[in-house]
Amino acid sequence: MTPDDPHDAVVVGSGAGGAMAAWVLTKAGASVLMLEAGRDYNPDEAPMLSMAKDAPLRGVGSRDKEFGYFDATVDGGWDMPGEPYTMAEGSEFMWWRSRMLGGRTNHWARNSFRMGEYDFKPYTRDGLGVDWPVEYKDIAPWYDKTEKLVGVYGTNTGLENHPSSGPGVLQPPPKFRVWETFLKAGGDAVGIPVVPARRAILTKKIDERQACYWASGCGRGCGIGAAFQTTTSLIPWAKKTGKLTIATGAMVYEVLLDASGKASGVRYIDKATGTHKEAKGRVVIIAASTGETARILLNSKPNGRSEGLSNSSGQVGRNLMDTVGSNLSAYFPQLEGRPRYNEDGAMGLHAYIPFWDYGRVKSGEAGTPRGYHVEIGGSFGDPGMGVGGGLDGYGASLRGDVKRRYGARIGLTQRGEMIPNKNSFCEIDTNTKDKFGIPVLKFSFAWSEHELNQVKHFQKAMGELVDKLGGTFTSDMPEPGKAISKGGEIIHEVGTARMGKDAKDSVVNQYGKSWDVDNLYLTDGSVFVSKAHKNPTITIMALAMRSADNIATRLRTGEL
Amino acid sequence: MTDMKTLITIDRRVTLKWLMGAMAVGQLAACGDGAKGISWPELEAIKAQGVGKDPDLLNPVVPWPLTMTAAELAITADLVDLILPAEGDLPAATKVGVPAFINEWVSAPYEDQHKDRVLIVNGLAWLDEESKVRNGVGFTQADASAQKKILDDIAFKDKVKVGLEKPAEFFGRIRSLTLGAYYTTSEGWAEIGYMGNTPGTGDYAGPTPEALTHIKGVIEGMGLTYTAP
Repeated sequence: MTPDDPHDAVVVGSGAGGAMAAWVLTKAGASVLMLEAGRDYNPDEAPMLSMAKDAPLRGVGSRDKEFGYFDATVDGGWDMPGEPYTMAEGSEFMWWRSRMLGGRTNHWARNSFRMGEYDFKPYTRDGLGVDWPVEYKDIAPWYDKTEKLVGVYGTNTGLENHPSSGPGVLQPPPKFRVWETFLKAGGDAVGIPVVPARRAILTKKIDERQACYWASGCGRGCGIGAAFQTTTSLIPWAKKTGKLTIATGAMVYEVLLDASGKASGVRYIDKATGTHKEAKGRVVIIAASTGETARILLNSKPNGRSEGLSNSSGQVGRNLMDTVGSNLSAYFPQLEGRPRYNEDGAMGLHAYIPFWDYGRVKSGEAGTPRGYHVEIGGSFGDPGMGVGGGLDGYGASLRGDVKRRYGARIGLTQRGEMIPNKNSFCEIDTNTKDKFGIPVLKFSFAWSEHELNQVKHFQKAMGELVDKLGGTFTSDMPEPGKAISKGGEIIHEVGTARMGKDAKDSVVNQYGKSWDVDNLYLTDGSVFVSKAHKNPTITIMALAMRSADNIATRLRTGEL
Repeated sequence: MTDMKTLITIDRRVTLKWLMGAMAVGQLAACGDGAKGISWPELEAIKAQGVGKDPDLLNPVVPWPLTMTAAELAITADLVDLILPAEGDLPAATKVGVPAFINEWVSAPYEDQHKDRVLIVNGLAWLDEESKVRNGVGFTQADASAQKKILDDIAFKDKVKVGLEKPAEFFGRIRSLTLGAYYTTSEGWAEIGYMGNTPGTGDYAGPTPEALTHIKGVIEGMGLTYTAP
């Protein structure tokens, strides 16, 4: 089939949510047209073992390649020529786009932490935000299926609000490295858990995907298929069914409705020719990323209605959330001069600090209503351009200092929950269009005291941990307002078309189905009701799988 | 003294290529007018082409012309070899191409690199002037002990000579670039003990027995509990 043929389903986006939906549906026998705004991408392009010195500027980030020369992201980033976004006065927001087949899954950190019971019912627990229309137990089987399919390493820790996976689901995690063992000793002493992390990386081979070979930064993309990305898994699997048609360079900007008010397809710009085209399907699934999905809905104006499509609740674009981020770096003299060995490992978290202080949150003593986890980084890694930080002098003493200090620093990165607030949203900027003539998004964003208090909690807790291990922070503790990330900066933006129990205050139901348009589904982060501290991708995929299963049933029964 | 060929053609036996035109610019400028005095003026931003949003990641190219003059490169060579001189089997900074890397860096059409360019181009000029004032000859003509006397006034953060804060900032930056450039080479990896970027099979091997014994001692020495990984 070609993109001009009507398909059972039109899927907008090829990242975590879009590719999962496409795979489930094609496997169920439905024909799917996948539209991707960026170019085709083959993970064989990944420069897996290239050295930094082989890249311009030793591979450091620039405005062209913001996460470094070797980052998998092509034709994307914070700043895309001809594709601006704007910000309301007084707001700062960073919007990462990844215009390529596979989207952001080509470069994500693969951290895959399940949301837990508390995370689905935040309002019930503390009266803030909104509850999800589902409970953890509704989603648990979908997490199991997703983790098994994707391949996630980790262990079941049994810790509060950090749910276990089903038997045989997880792959074995890699061993702790020396500095992680060191950090665990400190954590054990001060009551902060340091436990195996969960990441979507194979430690055992599955199907045609290889196990991790313990080298190559995952952000470069993984040509051996060990680090999960849709371009080495869901998309090729869906292609194998013979039911998937892919159109790249297809910039979708509008959903089409028929006379009965049902979605009949989407309209897009074919970037290669500049022509406007229509794609037709029995069901339309949008997974274009939280911002872009809201933009498509708001730019679709059925019967000229200014509110946009599927927006009778007025919630499209609202409730924009990102992960709370802040960083600390500590130096540990006790780690100086330790014996060398290969610490690349899985090139990311083997261990992490899950949120542990739920008891004091409940009693109010924690001073913050919601939790965070800490991603830790250290290791004898490629020294990189930062190796000279904090050093002094020149000559022989300098050489000695470089060697002595190598591997003695540990980075502590907060990743925390944001509570939705009325000041954080996106809308269409009616004064600005991108190079395709499509009106752009305008962002408003503000943290509240809850997030700032959470940064304080993190700083205090890490202070105790670092102190117990005889370390010192490499810079003065910044004020929370200065330490906290900018909105969007952690690239976990979610919530602009949230799901709910009631059409009055939500955009979609628990299956991602629009309350207003019966055959329109959303399967990306836009449907999130809250932004737990857990990284969103694994939840996006589990929810997308559940949505697609619902769609497949309705296609089969002729309901769609 | 490093010969000019080493300075401008750097030995990068790798896929990275500078444009031939770019090399020509560097050579043409070789008799240029390096030192502009010590006023640390702002420099015009470089408007060359960057790598773009979708470069070939497997075959990297530096698309911008190199801009340092031969005189600037010569001072840079002496300076980076004072920062990281040869020591036993360990090569000096020029031997692994640090001056050429600094040329690539300060010539890049990006904001961060532009800030460094202002600092470094002016800093090199300052160094030369300072040497002329103190020693009667430019920096590269001065002997090593005279060169070090200047560095001793700007290289140690607690001992920066009053009035030389800007040169100290320049030195800190070029030291940082030198270390970054040096320790990202194979020679630098070998020296510092980075043993990664090496694909393996089976489970991740993890720490060696020696590394575990060491950290167990450290942890227990602090009165904490060691848990074997």
